Amino acid sequence: MKISYRWLARHVDLSGVDPQSVRAELTLSTAEVEGLEPFLPHLADVTVGHVLQREKHPDADKLSLCKVDLGQGEPLQIVCGAPNVRAGLKVAVATVGTTLPGDFRIKKSKIRGVESNGMICSERELGLGDEHGGIWELPSEVVIGQSVARALDAQDWVIEIDNKSVTHRPDLWGHRGIAAELAAILRRPLRPLDTSLPAAGSAAPFPVRVETQLCSRYLALEIDGARATRSPFWLRSLLLAVGQRPIDLLVDLSNFVMLDLGQPNHLFDRHRIGASGIVVRAARADERLTTLDGLERKLEPSDLLICDGPEPVALAGIMGGAASKVTEDTSQLLLEVASFHAATVRRTSSRLGLRTDASARFEKSLDPALPPQAAGHFVRLLQSEQPEVRVAAPPTDVGTWKDTSKIVQVRGTRIRQLLGAEISDDAIADILRRLGFGVDLERECMSVRVPSNRGTKDIGIEQDLVEEVGRIHRYGNIPERELIGALVPPPRDERWARRQLVRRIEDRLAGSARFHQQISYSFVPDTTVERLGLSDVAHVAVRNPIQQGAARVRRSVVPSLIALLASNRRWREEVRLFEVGKGYEPRAAGEPLERHEVALALARTPRKGDARFDDNALSLLQGIVDDVVRSLGLVECTWSKARAPSTWAHPGRAVHACIEGCDGIAAEVAVLEPGVARAFGLVGELESDAALACLSIDTLLVAPQRATRYSALPQFPATRVDVALALPEDKPAAEVRAALERAGKGLVSALELFDVFKGGQLAAGTKSLAWHVVLQASDRTLGEADVKKFLERVEREATALGGQLRRD
Amino acid sequence: MTARPSGPFSFPESCLSSECSSLDLTHRPTPVVPLVAHEFPPMSFDCQAARRLLDEILTALAHAPASDETRALLERLGSFSALSETQFTAAAALETAGLALGSMRLVPKEQRGLVGGKANALKNVAEAALAAEKQHAEEQRLARERAGTGFDATLPPAPLAHGSLHPLTQVTRELEDLFTSMGWTILDGPEVETEFYNFDALNIPGDHPARDTMDTFWVDTAPGAPRLVMRTHTSPVQVRAMQRLKPPFRAIVPGKVFRNEALDASHEHTFHQMEGLVVGRDISVGHLIGSMKTLLRGVFGRDIEIRLRPGYFPFVEPGFELDARCPFCKDGCSVCKRSTWIELLPCGMVHPNVLRAGGIDPEQWTGFAFGLGLSRLVMLRYRIDDIRNLLGGDLRFLEQF
Repeated sequence: MKISYRWLARHVDLSGVDPQSVRAELTLSTAEVEGLEPFLPHLADVTVGHVLQREKHPDADKLSLCKVDLGQGEPLQIVCGAPNVRAGLKVAVATVGTTLPGDFRIKKSKIRGVESNGMICSERELGLGDEHGGIWELPSEVVIGQSVARALDAQDWVIEIDNKSVTHRPDLWGHRGIAAELAAILRRPLRPLDTSLPAAGSAAPFPVRVETQLCSRYLALEIDGARATRSPFWLRSLLLAVGQRPIDLLVDLSNFVMLDLGQPNHLFDRHRIGASGIVVRAARADERLTTLDGLERKLEPSDLLICDGPEPVALAGIMGGAASKVTEDTSQLLLEVASFHAATVRRTSSRLGLRTDASARFEKSLDPALPPQAAGHFVRLLQSEQPEVRVAAPPTDVGTWKDTSKIVQVRGTRIRQLLGAEISDDAIADILRRLGFGVDLERECMSVRVPSNRGTKDIGIEQDLVEEVGRIHRYGNIPERELIGALVPPPRDERWARRQLVRRIEDRLAGSARFHQQISYSFVPDTTVERLGLSDVAHVAVRNPIQQGAARVRRSVVPSLIALLASNRRWREEVRLFEVGKGYEPRAAGEPLERHEVALALARTPRKGDARFDDNALSLLQGIVDDVVRSLGLVECTWSKARAPSTWAHPGRAVHACIEGCDGIAAEVAVLEPGVARAFGLVGELESDAALACLSIDTLLVAPQRATRYSALPQFPATRVDVALALPEDKPAAEVRAALERAGKGLVSALELFDVFKGGQLAAGTKSLAWHVVLQASDRTLGEADVKKFLERVEREATALGGQLRRD
Repeated sequence: MTARPSGPFSFPESCLSSECSSLDLTHRPTPVVPLVAHEFPPMSFDCQAARRLLDEILTALAHAPASDETRALLERLGSFSALSETQFTAAAALETAGLALGSMRLVPKEQRGLVGGKANALKNVAEAALAAEKQHAEEQRLARERAGTGFDATLPPAPLAHGSLHPLTQVTRELEDLFTSMGWTILDGPEVETEFYNFDALNIPGDHPARDTMDTFWVDTAPGAPRLVMRTHTSPVQVRAMQRLKPPFRAIVPGKVFRNEALDASHEHTFHQMEGLVVGRDISVGHLIGSMKTLLRGVFGRDIEIRLRPGYFPFVEPGFELDARCPFCKDGCSVCKRSTWIELLPCGMVHPNVLRAGGIDPEQWTGFAFGLGLSRLVMLRYRIDDIRNLLGGDLRFLEQF
């Protein structure tokens, strides 16, 4: 919202208070000021000139040769093309060196062979509107040689207020409201404003019928003798300063009243409204109205209409209809000033995408006492320009509005306690009175009378007045204090435990595992969902997505990472990403199920043929999961083939990690499903050995802790044996491991698979598993005989597994 | 023979081992690697003394009863004696001492003392010299190792891949540590939130215009079911906290929030906030100011001037915008848009209606709340100019932290 400094000065004396100070005062006590700009600063560089002489240009019919007196020195010779230039006129002259709007710099020039030393300006050339019929004819009384800004008192500053900072203050949506704030802050009086209605004629009041509660007050006033003439300069310049395009006196004054008092109003051409009068009612389904902007609007029963008998003529509080607007021919006006239901106006304007100056004000809950003031203000302003204007009939003023002024009890102790500042009751009362509140100082409490313009929604309880006192006292005057409380540790609850767990996992992954942490959007694009074959799976989804196909909320964190693999593989041989986040699963009723997960993604150039059997993304991720679980001090996880792998998982290369002693899967780790990999672009140069893991924080949180117990260091040396077993291809390594442990009869202290091999001399359908075995006894040094016995037992176990101990 | 480094100080393995003293008369004199004179150890082998001892042994043995064995011994020892000074090395001397000592049974009893004494003396001289040579050689080797020629100190260290924590995590942790050290609790809340907690409980009823300013993502719910939103702020956790915790308490809530806004370099539909909430007896604006100064001291490592100015948020009364003096300039820069103030966070005294919604009596308890923009703080801290990088998932961005 734009506020004019000069306009504010109509309501409060701002002498000695420059625009920068106004900005600072408003910022610290009232509202957020987004900007402060001089209004048409070049008007200070344009000089009032007097056309002494006008001759025809020797070589051009339409050009004039003028001698212009600028109050000092020799008169300037200026070539002018305007038809209305003539001797005796006072004009605005841009001399050589002046810059006009549009970065237009005036230079000395020759026009058709004649020297021209400046430019006589039109209003449009000075940024003062669209008028370009000729040069600007200044009033005859202006002083020659002065700047135009000074001569016309047009020097102004535009203060831009952040609308969001005054959504709760309907009283600040007009210049008088802001001026009242400045008056309170600066301890200066607000200038009185006569808004009483002049005497009315004897015609019958205009008929108005309000059929709905959504219009609490409707004031209609018939005005005779008005003409849509051009507005005077003071009015046009003020409107221009706040970004309003001047139209004609009637429209301009209607706007001026709204921007002055904050009360929107509407003018109808009285002759275009039928004799049956105005009806205010809810719209009917499928009713249509063409608004002033020329668009046909489809209405709904929740919209509020102003009707001429049965016909809608305006969308209440938002915009008038095209059919009844005032034109140049209008002489009889019907002025509407009303109080409309705030939320209704807001809903209609946001549904239609039609935000107007009027709707912005109505939706703030305006003071229902304003309409007669606005009507009086309009008529008085109009009469001062057109004295022949008359109020034809007493106003029609109908509705069920209630006085919104009220009494709020306030305790000085409460104000002091909440602000943490020592402010006396007298100082409190003084601040409140300056702000227009009535204060009755009683023993314990103050009775504060809230005026109607602050009582619609803004001020209702004691705490609201704490703010009033605090902001005028200034928050900067409140001393800072330290919090004082009992020294107790925060509760060690589930949230605390989860945060600890998450931190440790993050540190492990970003540390020794060397993964990079990503934080993704919670939304998952439809393309991702489709590629993962999850289109038919229910997702939490928003109704108003940022764009088509971006409505779904992820069920798991994993898809967010899959979508990042190809783009990052373009730059990196190896991509290691992890994310701690939440997934949401919708439920039939109520809040969705929230899952806390850690997802890991590893993608790298495809493995080479001679790579070790466990040098692959899947094995590495399993190792990392093992490491994370161990580092958390949990019972070690056990791995098994995934029964029902996720859709992103290779159906044959997916494993689950479970932790004994707790239900649920602690982690799913799998090679990326090859079809999904292709769909996400991991093909050609980007083809990857890719695997993902999904750890369930919820499961890890309830997993039992591993009991760490010291075991004595070995007293006798260990013996290391390497064994290789040839086995049927499908024999799981876990069974072989168990067999080796059995063969050790308690002597196996460590067992490591170091090679998996197929082909070569091995028969088809067989594989070789080679292990490092460490044998150790707690009571003696093992000898050749022990190893021999062990190997014999291994041989028997190998046979039992359908294979043999390799002797080669 | 084991391969050894072939430097001038290489010794045949056998001479350096204990086997050296065993007598094998069939063995040819061990080839001696010539030593270069200037590389002799400083405490070198006294060749003349050794040869004198050998000659004395030979002289004594000359009286030994003649036999093939004696002859062979004398011949063998004699061949050593005939060696030139450079050829008669400590190793050779040791060998002769060994030969003599190993052949004592050939020496008549009465001379055994003399010969044995000389032979042992010869052995000692030789061994001492060999030990000195060995030590010298080791020192030479060490000296060579230490000399380290051709070393380039600017060669890059071995590349060890690193991982990283997201900048949001890093800054969040800093703040968590700061607040927990002052006895604050860390809370969490759902991203998919009920309309009640996100709006109604925060004094933002259905028709409140403040709802419009928050550009809410509404979740598609069944007609009649309680409405859900993607939370527009971390504030819903205020009332959740009040319902769970008994006052007095202090809590922070870091987390993701959502606004239906078009994306550009400074606007995101998903960003991070950190809510703060204190409820206690006589909590005042003064406490809010004090706590915010502490917060800024923690973030920027020094005192930062702040100012509170009125701001409107329905869930606080009075409500403020808190500006911090721009930490990057003295008289205006691009970060503070030339104003020297940075709008940092909205805050205020908890509205009585919010306390009531949380089951807390506003006559007994008061509190303050603030909502810090974590994403913005991270951008300020690292001078990130495009907010879209934060959640974009580009490793080239993530690896920087």
